[in-house]
Amino acid sequence: MADWLRWVAPVAAVTSIAAPAYAAQYMSIEEAQKHAFPNASFTEVQAGRIWKAQGGGGGYFYYDHVVGKHLLIDYTVAVGADGRVRRVDILNYRESYGGEVHDASWLAQFVGKSSQSDVRVNSDIRNISGATLSSTHLAEGVKKVLMYHASHFH
Amino acid sequence: MPATSTSLRRAQALLGTFVEIDVSDANQRDAERAVEAAFSVVAEVHRLMSFHEASSDVSRLNRAASNSAVVVHPWTCAVLQMAAEMNRHSAGAFDIGVAPALQRTGQLPGGSEARPSAAGMPSAEAIELLADNHVRFLHPSVLIDLGGIAKGFAVDRAIEELRARGVRSAMVNAGGDLAAFGPEVRMIHIRDPRSPDRLMCQIEVSNRALASSARRFDPFRSADTVDTAVIEPKTQRPAQAAHGATVCAPSCMVADALTKVVMVAGKRAAAPLARFHASAIFVSTDGDIHTTSDWQGVLQHAA
Repeated sequence: MADWLRWVAPVAAVTSIAAPAYAAQYMSIEEAQKHAFPNASFTEVQAGRIWKAQGGGGGYFYYDHVVGKHLLIDYTVAVGADGRVRRVDILNYRESYGGEVHDASWLAQFVGKSSQSDVRVNSDIRNISGATLSSTHLAEGVKKVLMYHASHFH
Repeated sequence: MPATSTSLRRAQALLGTFVEIDVSDANQRDAERAVEAAFSVVAEVHRLMSFHEASSDVSRLNRAASNSAVVVHPWTCAVLQMAAEMNRHSAGAFDIGVAPALQRTGQLPGGSEARPSAAGMPSAEAIELLADNHVRFLHPSVLIDLGGIAKGFAVDRAIEELRARGVRSAMVNAGGDLAAFGPEVRMIHIRDPRSPDRLMCQIEVSNRALASSARRFDPFRSADTVDTAVIEPKTQRPAQAAHGATVCAPSCMVADALTKVVMVAGKRAAAPLARFHASAIFVSTDGDIHTTSDWQGVLQHAA
């Protein structure tokens, strides 16, 4: 049977380090467009936010983000010609505890970054385990995009 | 590594959390396809084992299995099998029959209808696994939730899919329940369960699985934790032994389930951990940090 060890450092000296900013880039907007509508051409409907896809079934492509107190997620929603969600992709995920999430200059460093380019924000901290994060807010964001879509394009 | 090799990292919202797949040592086109297929596998596990979706195996079982045997997907059967084994080997600390308690704490929907009490019947005895993927509940009060084990199972299936498609090195991380294979050694940071905006420990993972359980936390709203999602089956109340637990095991399903055992049983989890070839670290509610003697992780030193 396994026996237990207590971590030798006195409790007070067991210092956990702050993770002030953690960022992960997964995809660029262009990559996400190709995933959702392969071989389609895209016409901007609203600058940097909404595109109309022609070819490959056709539909609309949305770029949006959800921002909370310490979390910002960029994501895209592809809506098919039938008004249904074709796919949702997460482009960027950022966790921050120094207030940077709402700071324009901190956010600016992510603009135009693709999944291949690492931003210099604790890029060594790539993999985290611990309390499980809820994705409810992303689902709420997708719902809002769909409501917008239904009232404008469908 | 050949010149065509690439690394790819993708994320999707599945299983109620963020699932991340990281693939290296494959060419771009194959890697994209493999990652897509692995996400599909995770989505399939979600479809089968979600408590929330009316058409899932779990919902069908909860509705009808106490009247007559219900046929489920072989994957659901495999998870129920492991859940029963874990229930027996943990002296009841792991139990998928805690859904009514999760309804009472508001973590699962429903529960307004009064079900007769199962009178402390362990789920391994209350659920009968029959031939050909048939499952029957032996008591009308049995209500199951696979939230404590299905994420780990989904990670294992996604890893299997990536391997089958010729990927040589990958990691799948479903909200902190993760597994990796291949020659690469990956450094995993573990959040401090008392303060999840901080990192407590790091551990190298290669060809193994790691899972954590802690009080719930949503950086979207706050850096503070809220209540624990782990219920102690005997008391039907939130687990009291630990603030958080991380388990390293050969499979992610086993690691996932064992985190609940440690949250509930604390040091008494030593026997089930050894039984499943797993090691663990946990922060007890008195603030001490305990590890099994074979734990390989290193404490995070303040920078």
